[in-house]
This record gives sequence, C-alpha cells and structure tokens, in this order.
Amino acid sequence: MVNCKKLIMSMISLITLASIATFAAPTKEANAATTYEIGAGPTFEPYQIEDATGGYHGTHNGFEMDILKAIAKHENFTYETKVMSFNALLQATQAGQIDAMVAGMSVTDERKAKFDFTDAYYDAGAVLAVAKDSKIKSFSDLKGKTVGLKVGTTGSQYGESVQKKYGFKVKYFNESNPMWSDVKNGGIDATIDEEVVLRYGIKNGVPLRVASKAHSTTPIAFGTKKGANPQFIKQFNSGLAWLKKSGKYQEIMDYYIGSKSKVKADSAEDRTIIGLIKKNRKFLTNALLETLKISIIGIIAATIFGVILGVMGIQNGKILPGISSTLIYIFRGLPMMVLAFFIYIGLPDVLGHKIPLFTAAIVTLMLNEGAYIGAFVKGGFEAVDKGQWEAARSLGLSYQRSLWKVIAPQGVKIMVPSFLNQFIITIKDTSVLSAIGVMELTQTGSVIISKNMEGFKVWAIIAVIYLIIITALTWLSIIVKKRMN
Amino acid sequence: MQNKTKLQVRDLHKNYGKNKVLQGIDLDVKDGEVVCMIGPSGSGKSTFLRCLNKLEDPTSGTINIDGFDISDKKTNIDLVRQNIGMVFQHFNLFPHLSVIDNITLAPVDLKKVDKETAKKEALGYLDLVGLKDRADSMPAQLSGGQKQRVAIARALAMKPDIMLFDEPTSALDPEMVGDVLEVMKKLAAQGMTMIVVTHEMGFAKSVADRVIFFHDGVIKEAGTPEEIFDNPQEPETKNFLDKVLNI
Ligand SMILES: Nc1ncnc2c1ncn2[C@@H]1O[C@H](COP(=O)(O)OP(=O)(O)OP(=O)(O)O)[C@@H](O)[C@H]1O
Ligand SMILES: [Mg+2]
Repeated sequence: MVNCKKLIMSMISLITLASIATFAAPTKEANAATTYEIGAGPTFEPYQIEDATGGYHGTHNGFEMDILKAIAKHENFTYETKVMSFNALLQATQAGQIDAMVAGMSVTDERKAKFDFTDAYYDAGAVLAVAKDSKIKSFSDLKGKTVGLKVGTTGSQYGESVQKKYGFKVKYFNESNPMWSDVKNGGIDATIDEEVVLRYGIKNGVPLRVASKAHSTTPIAFGTKKGANPQFIKQFNSGLAWLKKSGKYQEIMDYYIGSKSKVKADSAEDRTIIGLIKKNRKFLTNALLETLKISIIGIIAATIFGVILGVMGIQNGKILPGISSTLIYIFRGLPMMVLAFFIYIGLPDVLGHKIPLFTAAIVTLMLNEGAYIGAFVKGGFEAVDKGQWEAARSLGLSYQRSLWKVIAPQGVKIMVPSFLNQFIITIKDTSVLSAIGVMELTQTGSVIISKNMEGFKVWAIIAVIYLIIITALTWLSIIVKKRMN
Repeated sequence: MQNKTKLQVRDLHKNYGKNKVLQGIDLDVKDGEVVCMIGPSGSGKSTFLRCLNKLEDPTSGTINIDGFDISDKKTNIDLVRQNIGMVFQHFNLFPHLSVIDNITLAPVDLKKVDKETAKKEALGYLDLVGLKDRADSMPAQLSGGQKQRVAIARALAMKPDIMLFDEPTSALDPEMVGDVLEVMKKLAAQGMTMIVVTHEMGFAKSVADRVIFFHDGVIKEAGTPEEIFDNPQEPETKNFLDKVLNI
C-alpha cells in the first residue's frame, strides 16, 4: 500500500499549503494621503468591541475606536481598519503594512525603541475587586483570604508583589470571567484585575465592587513604526487634546465605564433562560453551526486518516504496520488539548507562518480521533475469523484482493458500532477546541457568560444543545444498527 | 488410473519452535488418485495438508505440484493455489455473500471467466452438490452439511486439478455426513485427484486408492485400504484402528 504513504504526505502538504496561503498578507506601499490604514486588535472589551460583521464599523465599538472616530472627524482624516491578532499587529506595523496599530497597547521603554506612540488617552492599572456584599474594604483586609489573578497581566504582577505584605493566598485563572464568577460565588474572596475591563463588566451586571485605586498604571496609546508616521501622530495628538478639552473624551469613557449610566442597563433585560436564548439566538446558532461544521469535517478527515492507519496496520511486513502503530500510539496518547496547542501555537514557530484556526481545529480532530479510528479499524480487520483469510487465499486470491473482497466487508460490519460511538465522541471533543479559541458552542458559552455572568443558565443552555445533538445522533445510530441486522 | 505424478513431496519437515510436527514426509500422488490420511489427533495431518498449498511454510523439504516447486520463493503461489482446491473442517464460507457469490467471487475476481459464465458454471456445481435451489441463500440460512457442499462447489469453481479435504465431515451432525461423502464419492468417480484427511473409515475403505497412516509427524504405514484396515503391520496402526473402529 504505497498509496497510503502518498495520501498521508499529500494531506500534510495540503495543510501546510493552506497555512502558507493564509499567512501571505498583501503588502501596501506607504500612503501619505489622509486615509490611514489602522490595524486593530480583536474584541477586548471595553477597549475594542467588534460588531456583528467582525469589524469596527458600528457605534458601540469600544472606547479606543470611539476616540479614533471622534478624532478623525475633528482632524478631517479618514481611515480603514484591519483586524489582526496583537502579535500580527506588531509585525504588520514594523513591516509598514499599516500606518498605526491600536489594541490596548501599553507604552513601555522596550517598545519605544521600535515604535513611536501618540499621547496616551488612558492609564491602565490594576484594582482590587470584591463581591458587592463583601466586608473587604481594601488591601489591608486581605489577610488569609484568597485572591484571583489572571496569568500574564499587570494585575497578576502587582498581586504577586504585594502578596507577602498583605498575607493573602493566590489562585490563578486564564480568563477574567471565570475568575469574576468565582468571586461572585464566594469561591475566592477578591481579584486583582485591569480597572477598565472590570468596571465595564460591573456596568454590564457583574455584581462586583472596586475596592482600591489603580496600581502599576501604564499609559495606553496608538503605536506607529518608529519615524514612519509623524503626521498621524501630530493629527491624533491635536485631536486628542481637543477631545479632552471639549469634554467629549469624558463622555466616551462614561459611556463605557461611568457610573451614571447612559447605556444599556443590562440588568433590566430579560434574564430568564428563554430571554437569554432570544438575546443570544444568532450567537448560539452560529456556535451550533460551527460545532456541527467542525464535527462533520473533522469526522470525515479523521475517518480517512483512521482507515488509512487501520489498513496500514494489517499489511504484511514490518514497515507499514510499524508506522501505523507509532502514529496511533502518539496521537492517541497525547491529550487533545496539548495536540491543539501544539498545532495552533507551537507549529507556527517552526513553520514561520500562522496556521488558520479552522485548519488547526480540523487537523487536531483528524489526528486525535483518527488515531482511535485507526486502532479499531485495525482491530476490526483482525477480528475477522482467520479461516476467512485461509479460504480466500486458498482460492488463489492475493493478500490485497482477499482483504478488499472478503475481510474488509466483514471487518467494517464489526466496526460500525465503534464508528458511531467515535462520531459522538468527536462532537463532544470539539469543545476542547475552545481552548484555542474556536467559536464553537463551549467557547460561545464562555463569551456569553463574560457579558452577563449568568453561568448556570448559559451552561444549562449549552449542555442541552449538546444533548440534543448527541441524542439525535444516538437515534440515528440505533436505526443504522437495526438496518444492519 | 494414469501414471502421471501430480504431487511429489520429499523430506518435508515442519517445526513450530521446538515442536517438530512433521519429521520427513515423502509422498507421491498420481493423477486421479484418491489418498486418505488417517491418524491420531496431533499427528500432523492438517499441518501436512496445509503445507501443500502453503497456508503453512514448511521448514525444509520440497513440494512439487504439476511440476511447480512451491517451496521456491519465485513461484507465484497465488497461481498455484488456483489449481489446488481446499475444503476446511469449518467450511469458511464468506458470510457476507450469497451462495452463488461465494462460488463466483474468485473466478470472476481472478478474471478466469466473465460474470455470466461464472454464474452459469456455479449453478452447474451447485447441481453437482445437490443445492441448485439454494443459489440465492445466505450461508447463515444453510445447515452444516449444506454449507460444506457449497464450500466444495466453491473450490470446484476454480477448476482445480487437486482437491484437499481437511476433515470435511467432522464438524457435521451425523445425518449430514452422508450427503457430503456422497458428493466426494462423485468427485472421485469423475477422476479428481484428492487428498482427504478423515475419520470416516467407511469412506476411506470404499473410496480411497491408498490409505496413509500418520503418526508423530511421519507416515508410519501406507497401502491399499485392504492392506491397512485388514492387515496392518505396525503396532501403532493396529492400536489406532482398534480405538476408532471399536467406538
Ligand atoms: N500454528 C501452530 N502453532 C504451533 N503449533 C501448532 C500450530 N498448528 C499446529 N500445531 C501443532 O502441531 C501439531 C500437529 O497439529 P495438526 O493440526 O497438524 O494435527 P492433526 O493431525 O491435524 O490433528 P487433529 O486430528 O486433531 O486435527 C500439534 O501438536 C499442534 O499443537
Ligand atoms: Mg487436523
């Protein structure tokens, strides 16, 4: 079966090609006209809030985008935005592909060596937050308490620096929302998080209270390539000065984090399960479709990969079965989340270019689920009575013809229940891909909760959606099994 | 009987690890001859038969069939096997295929005949084994005796010139045995070269040209049915016959 090797090789090269294609961004010659190309980060509330189209064209786009919009109007320039991840923004700015970047970028000495910054429009800092009804009034009340920190943030660094002084214990989180929920539910006593992010959450219904002033503040500004765009900086700074003087700046900040709220009082909205479903219908539908899409394509890819592994596994000789069992061993042995991180975050370092999220998700499923499929495909072939091989071979059929005509049809029948089972597992396993940011059901659940803090209700909704899919598939598999008998 | 040698085995040995199962077998079978092999359990009868079409690899020795040395690595064993029919104790019909498809699978797949011809011929073989009306049945719907007769038809469809039988009736209910033996007698009468491992002494007596007594991996004694059954020379043969005939 030389074809197996070819197939695998072509799969790998296909994946590689896809990632190269996605990375190659068009270069843009320097543009001295008054239309600026601005690179913006993805949603990071309330700095930047993408609209439904995944861009920044609406009215509720976060205070950074609102500031930009107001300044552009006053200074009479126009701009186009491009959404990229933070790291891509840094590179694109240095490569001159965009005129400036905005993404809650803190001004540090290190960055000043390579970037020019506009005047800062905000000082980000770490504040202490506690549950609304908590008795904790300040850092000095923290002795013996547990404080949540978000890894890799200024808040976390500040928390660690004062931990001894105030005598509190620390619990680490990767995301703000589970951390806030934990404070709300009493799992931990307080958290140290970025002020504006926290205040925005509070304004939107998170039942926490800020209990300190901001610490470790760093200025936030737009960045350009060093020396490349003095005109933009000049215009921006003059616009910002006017914005502050005219009170417009305060208006914008109040809109997002002010206590006298003019914006959506989320607490007034319908918080029943039905209400939550209605409000997030589009979001949930997209998530469901994404889960189904990834599951179906993933299952197809995994089945192809698995069948190749299985067929390789029962070939004569040592090489092909050896390759097969090694691959099965590796990809069945690795936790799926590690595999996903390795492909999405690890491989790009080696390859030198980004791997699209969707590709990474499918490849993860293909390798992991495919390894399981490979194992039971091989097992299914091996479970066919040895007498069947002997009868086929004694008639003069070759090994491959015997496999194809006699063993495979019987093996497949043995495998069908395992296949159906694996499909159900695959659907459930797609939730692991939330770890690399795939907007499937689980990730969507986290995001919805980050807005409304309704952990119980939202997870219940998500759980029921999964159960409905799984139940449908289980019925289907019962029908298939009945048909077969 | 013609005198042409169909099968020639010389000094055949087969070891499974330290277990010496065949310890130097010599045998010549002539065209159209029916050879029955008897002997105690574990004496190596099946192993010997399976060496003849290379389902087992002999440890040493030579096997010539129709002039092909099948112990030679260069011989295309798939081609040789097309001329050697084999019938197993447990039938080994293909359960996912109907009776007729069981029979036509190999001839069609190996492009010996086209599908239509294969079907016609298959019906002929089914007629021979008395199962013409079961062409469209699935194996699971057949009795043991019927399955074995289909298995014989399947082997015949490749038009082999030797048929190997490994205890074809010992997995059958007693009342089915007769039908299968009947078919085998017919084949013998048509001049098919046959090597039959069997415990059916009656069949051996009436059909075999030669009876071979296997013991501990060697041919202890060989002769006409009369010589073996009525006047055995070796004490092991006597001992064995006493046991099987007195039951
Ligand atoms: N695949 C194998 N691996 C190891 N030993 C084997 C194998 N096949 C057969 N043997 C051994 O070889 C010896 C002969 O077995 P064989 O099946 O040829 O005997 P037999 O004469 O056909 O017996 P029976 O009448 O019970 O069928 C036995 O001791 C058996 O255990
Ligand atoms: Mg035997």
